[in-house]
Amino acid sequence: MKRRAFMLSVGGAAAGMVLLPRMAFAAPGVIDWYTASDTNILDFWTNVVKPKFEAANPGVMLNLVDAGDNAGQLAIADRAVAAMQTSTDPQADYFESADPRLPAGAIDGGLYVNLKEAGLSNWSKINPLAIDSDYSVPYRGSQVLLAYDTAKLDPANAPKSWADLVAWIKANPGQFIYNRPDKGGSGGNFVRRAIYEANGKDPAAFTTSNFTAEAGEKALTPAWDILKDLSSSLFDGGAYTGGNTPSLQLLGQGAVTIIPAWSDQAISAINTGVLPETTGLVQLQDLALPGGFSRSVVLANGVNKDAAIKLADFILSEEIQSAVLSELGGFPGVAWDYVNQDLRQKYADVIPTTIPSFPGGDWEKAINDGWYRNVAPNVDRNA
Amino acid sequence: MSLTPASDIVGKKPGRGLSGLLLVAIPVFLVCWMVIWPILSAIWRTVWIRNDGGTGSSFSLETYVFFFSDQYSLNNLYVTLWTTAVCAALLLVICIPIALYLRFSTGKLAAYVQGLAIFPMFVPSIILSYALIRVLGPNGTVDLLLNAVNLPKIRSPYLTPWGPVIGLVWDNIPLTVLILVSGLGSVSNQSIEAARDVGAGRLATFWYIILPRISNSILVAISFTVLGLFSAFTLPYVLGPAAPEMMGPFMQRTFRDLNDPVMAITQAVIAFGFCIVFGLFYVRSVAKNRAP
Repeated sequence: MKRRAFMLSVGGAAAGMVLLPRMAFAAPGVIDWYTASDTNILDFWTNVVKPKFEAANPGVMLNLVDAGDNAGQLAIADRAVAAMQTSTDPQADYFESADPRLPAGAIDGGLYVNLKEAGLSNWSKINPLAIDSDYSVPYRGSQVLLAYDTAKLDPANAPKSWADLVAWIKANPGQFIYNRPDKGGSGGNFVRRAIYEANGKDPAAFTTSNFTAEAGEKALTPAWDILKDLSSSLFDGGAYTGGNTPSLQLLGQGAVTIIPAWSDQAISAINTGVLPETTGLVQLQDLALPGGFSRSVVLANGVNKDAAIKLADFILSEEIQSAVLSELGGFPGVAWDYVNQDLRQKYADVIPTTIPSFPGGDWEKAINDGWYRNVAPNVDRNA
Repeated sequence: MSLTPASDIVGKKPGRGLSGLLLVAIPVFLVCWMVIWPILSAIWRTVWIRNDGGTGSSFSLETYVFFFSDQYSLNNLYVTLWTTAVCAALLLVICIPIALYLRFSTGKLAAYVQGLAIFPMFVPSIILSYALIRVLGPNGTVDLLLNAVNLPKIRSPYLTPWGPVIGLVWDNIPLTVLILVSGLGSVSNQSIEAARDVGAGRLATFWYIILPRISNSILVAISFTVLGLFSAFTLPYVLGPAAPEMMGPFMQRTFRDLNDPVMAITQAVIAFGFCIVFGLFYVRSVAKNRAP
């Protein structure tokens, strides 16, 4: 064989090897961590939590993996369920933010670790309002608020109630946009705020278990009417962005004046220059836009279960919880007494007294489908 | 064993047919395993539906009946067909001149044009989407340029059905150009010179000499791009309107957000039904070429 042909075939074979599916096994001491959250959360873990945790626990590493979205992470959870049935390695130890009720029957099937009984030294510090289940640790909270361009809207005139906001949107057609409710929480919670508005502003009226087809019809139809009424005054006569980030992009390009945005995402966008410094943030005072806590879960059949439990404890420490506030712009999952005193003073204004939190499950499905069928097609292209 | 003269002439040796079959066995097996089987299983799962109580299954076409009686789903199908048709037409209008230019001109400029025409192939569609928002979106680059010369802003195609059309056309130019250029390779210079000699104009040369020779390539290019356009996801998702949505995002949303796999598979089978028509065009044209 000529040297040239030899080199070519060796090179080709080597290139081909790269394309072969690689067999992956979970390595001991490397926690396989997944998130479905936005990039700012992944950045926070990469730059803050990972170095601190690895320094505090020599020999343990974090493998941070972006699962894309909730459904992507759920697919990993499904894989873990399948792995449990065959007693194999799920290659997953920790979900950054997950509902332990999913996939259906996961808690009964023993997929997740009962963290309350796992002996976390910081469990008692958790803000009782934030606890949702014994199987998950709430470690950061976030809330949707309105981000606006102070160059076009004087902060003194920024809408502070739902009625003000609706009046402003109608008085300034084309200057407001929210994203499709299933594609990101900022638009999703704006839609949920409209649902509260249509149902007596009572967050307690909606629970994970009280959805029925009739209740959904009764509660959601008036909300669709509110949103349909707004649609012709939205950007481009009824356009909706495809996610939290495209909304921020439109605000940053000066195409719109007000958008709903996650508090943490808006703050980090302002800090990194994605949004100009002239961006103002305001929360509705009659009933806040909903938000919620992100809760981490540990997989019971993960190879690094014990290390992952340590991680769940570590993120509740004062160090990380203060960083959630200062670096991420989120709310801590622990009670405010367990956060750095200076920070508590500094952020006194944004400390929410309540965060309305809309239940997921069947309500979420009904809202997503109903919105697409009722509100989204209501577009006035000739406006 | 005595060889007959005939078998000597055509060189038929025992075992040769077998090794030929073995060579095609791998692709055939892969196609059966990863394409044919999923299709059959998808069709089966949409017509053999689990009963309400979860006990047993029975034959039912209810998901198809729902799809074709649901105006929302039909609108999504129409917008997908509309986008596909508009994109395919625009692609031909844009790519045939580029391909003709690349076929009949030589020199440095042609090389640059070719490079430029192939460039979109190397741009991931998610990056393309965000770049298009920056350029064609509200207050984007185009608006800034127009504003600089005191012209009014454009009506941005972002979040309208034209958004995905622009993105998809740009994204599909390389494949279409490549197929058309390779088809134009079969048009000999002599035949064109002969046509010119008898006084045919440019248009007549194109219409009577070139077009009949490349009609096959056009068919192949159209069927390839249509298959890609029909299943497009990223560009319609980011650039398109919330409703009506194209089948790609619609299927994904039905499957993941509404947790309704059976309905999502039904939508997929319907989309497949449209695609298979163009697949058959392609197969027919290949088979026609192969025939002695």
